[in-house]
Amino acid sequence: MATDKSSRFDNVDWEAVTADSGRALSTNLLGTLLCVVPLIALLVYDFVALGQYEDTFAFVGIGYDVTQLDWLFALSLILFVFYALLPLYQNPRITRYYWREFKRNRPAVVSLAFLTFVFVVGLLGPIFISQPEIDLVTQYQPPIGMSVQNTYPVQCLGEVTSGASGQLCHGSLAHPLGTDSRGRDILVMLIYGMQVTVKIAFITSLIVITIGTAVGTVAAYSGGMIDEVLMRYVDVQQSFPTFIAYLLILYAYGGGLFLFIVLFGTFAWEGTARYVRSNALTKSEDEFMKSAELTGASTYHIITRHLIPNTASSIITILTLLVPGFILAEAQLAFLGLGDPTAPSWGQLLSTGRDALPYAPWITLMPGFLIFLTILAFNFLGDAVLDALNPEAQAESE
Amino acid sequence: MTERVGDEPLLSVRDLEKHYPITQGYLSREVGAARAVDGISFDLRPGETLGLVGESGCGKSTAATSIINLETPTGGEVLFNGGGRWNRQRNEDGSHPNDVTAFADDELFAFRRDAQMIFQDPSSSFDPRMSIGSSVAEPLQVHGMTDQGRRRAIVEDLLEQVGLAAKDYDRYPHEFSGGQKQRIALARALVLNPELIVADEPVSALDVSIRAEILSLISDLQDEYGLSMLFISHDMSVIREVCDRVAVMYLGEIVEIGDAEEVFTDPQHPYTEALLSAIPTADPRAEQANIELRGTVPTPTNPPSGCRFHTRCHRVIQPDGIDIDQENWRSLLNFRDEVLAGQVDVESAREIASTAAGEGDDADIKSELRTEFDLPESFADASVDETLADALDSLLDGDDETAAEQLSTAFTTPCEQSEPVMTDHGDGHQSQCLLNESAQSAPQPTPSDD
Ligand code: SF4
Repeated sequence: MATDKSSRFDNVDWEAVTADSGRALSTNLLGTLLCVVPLIALLVYDFVALGQYEDTFAFVGIGYDVTQLDWLFALSLILFVFYALLPLYQNPRITRYYWREFKRNRPAVVSLAFLTFVFVVGLLGPIFISQPEIDLVTQYQPPIGMSVQNTYPVQCLGEVTSGASGQLCHGSLAHPLGTDSRGRDILVMLIYGMQVTVKIAFITSLIVITIGTAVGTVAAYSGGMIDEVLMRYVDVQQSFPTFIAYLLILYAYGGGLFLFIVLFGTFAWEGTARYVRSNALTKSEDEFMKSAELTGASTYHIITRHLIPNTASSIITILTLLVPGFILAEAQLAFLGLGDPTAPSWGQLLSTGRDALPYAPWITLMPGFLIFLTILAFNFLGDAVLDALNPEAQAESE
Repeated sequence: MTERVGDEPLLSVRDLEKHYPITQGYLSREVGAARAVDGISFDLRPGETLGLVGESGCGKSTAATSIINLETPTGGEVLFNGGGRWNRQRNEDGSHPNDVTAFADDELFAFRRDAQMIFQDPSSSFDPRMSIGSSVAEPLQVHGMTDQGRRRAIVEDLLEQVGLAAKDYDRYPHEFSGGQKQRIALARALVLNPELIVADEPVSALDVSIRAEILSLISDLQDEYGLSMLFISHDMSVIREVCDRVAVMYLGEIVEIGDAEEVFTDPQHPYTEALLSAIPTADPRAEQANIELRGTVPTPTNPPSGCRFHTRCHRVIQPDGIDIDQENWRSLLNFRDEVLAGQVDVESAREIASTAAGEGDDADIKSELRTEFDLPESFADASVDETLADALDSLLDGDDETAAEQLSTAFTTPCEQSEPVMTDHGDGHQSQCLLNESAQSAPQPTPSDD
């Protein structure tokens, strides 16, 4: 027990305390700054010092040019680490509690494991596995356990057997999930596709959360005219035909995955903004918000420490509905040939398999299956998160 | 820093007003105001506990939040002399440097250390996503204590003082019971070492069995740290346990104020009387005259004229020329008010009368109406009987307006015509009722002569 005099509340000399108080940076903010500052420095270096076609990391001998998307992706990862993972680590008690609640929902646990797998493999896989090489000789290799008429592959790497309708080429370990029409390994392409999916998920989430929360809180806290204007704009945006805008920009200026992600992200935050606003208005009636106000805390403090953490579970749920939509939209656009041909997404793979569907169905099946599983996993996750991250409701129902 | 001189009060509330505008339409035109707090004044001395009591909706919670400046009052002054602000004089322009309602941002920030509040509902008074230790330590952090170790030490010590364990620091609100949360709320209110605590119904959401514990904890802490307290409750029995003085609020006004002892033993205002009569007594043999308040409950948007309590007062004064049983007089006024408001449903009375044993003729309907409004067949006053009979006839003819006019010209009360002022009963005991006024400044012809 603390017996030290300075650790009694009635012995605090507030004159002294307020006099020498500086603004203390939280670990989270500090960590974020420590990562974002070099990131920005690198970005500036890339733009100012290097020509357009020079590799960003050429100075350490890595031949990789960082794309616009990578910058945003890096930023979203940094924020994810410091504002989602780190808080969970800092507050082990509530994390354990969330986990106990979350665990009750079996499908959600499986979904989380699956999505974590996609995240980790998508993030690290492309670093360790080199890009799939085009090699027409090895085209149309079937996956293990499947076979194809030996007329399609130029050279069958697996076992060749003769069947009723001629010679059959079987799958082999060299390409466990087979190859596509240009001989690229499907497993490797799926792994590269995971990274695209992870990028879509993270960057759109970053955009949606940032704009949605900002607009929602500003509307709620300023009220009056500002509130009115912002919310009417949200109504307008909801009816904005993002898809048509995408096509227009695509035809007029060209575009790729970056255009897709930024455009779809910036036109999808209405729901979040609305939710944050209404939540801010209802929560401000809660006594804990009033208590916080009574301590003399600034509105900024109240928003970041109380309002946003208490809105998080619902925002996550909104995201679990939005993100699968983006993934699906990307796949559809890619399948229709409106995607980014340079982005190795699942949708692209899907579209390369389109013509070969009758004899090499695995090329479309594999990515299709992954897309299906991913979307399913997001949906399972959404429900479970809303239940688990809501200690208030739990305590009341007990 | 200045020292306290004489018996300067810690808190001095003067004519505090909080009106909420009621707006309509797109342009938010103001069409009226809900007068939640309508001019209340009282003093609170250091170390004292003042109870603010009244039924829900009387404005006592709004008074609390306005005093502590969680909401900005629309009028009046709240002078807070604590926190080294003793003995300051008014400025040239008549404003007071200690007026909380006029504090600049930095003064208000410092004032937050001097006055804190405890809320009613323990289930929502803590951020569910913050450990209670962090919640209690938050005020320290907001006020610039950057040393995390020191914050923790202070909070752990304080948690032990309110009857919890230091290790509870890391636990979350959902892991505590209502009573424990209210202890933690006390710790949070105390952590900045305030001089004034405003407690808004701190025990009314709790189980009766733990109320006593929390109340005694409150008074222990109060004694130990010399806290002054504004204690808000609808429950007279709780007020009696903790308060030195009591102010009774009705519809935005204080109708009686005085030492708790005095008010409880010798209530001067009929409303206080009614509130007190509702306290369950420990002695089962004691005769319990539970005064039932009948009549329409007014809204703060449109408070009644004269004495605001006259629509429900059981002692409502009879005018010159009428002298009937007080109960019947109340019923008569209630009936009048209902007719005026167009609330008397002759049709349903007719239906009841026709389904009942009787013929369903006019006499039956009238007696049905009389039962409904507790009106006897005959008052001990012929003119009253006559007016009522006429009014009932008009009503049955469907002529509500004539009925209303007949009733409202014949039955009036001084209580709705003149506003009572505060009457002094000595020792700071004051009440606001015409009965007391007339008793004091005797000679003028009293409205109710008996
Ligand atoms: S003034 Fe009249 S109505 Fe008001 S409390 Fe006194 S007796 Fe009752």
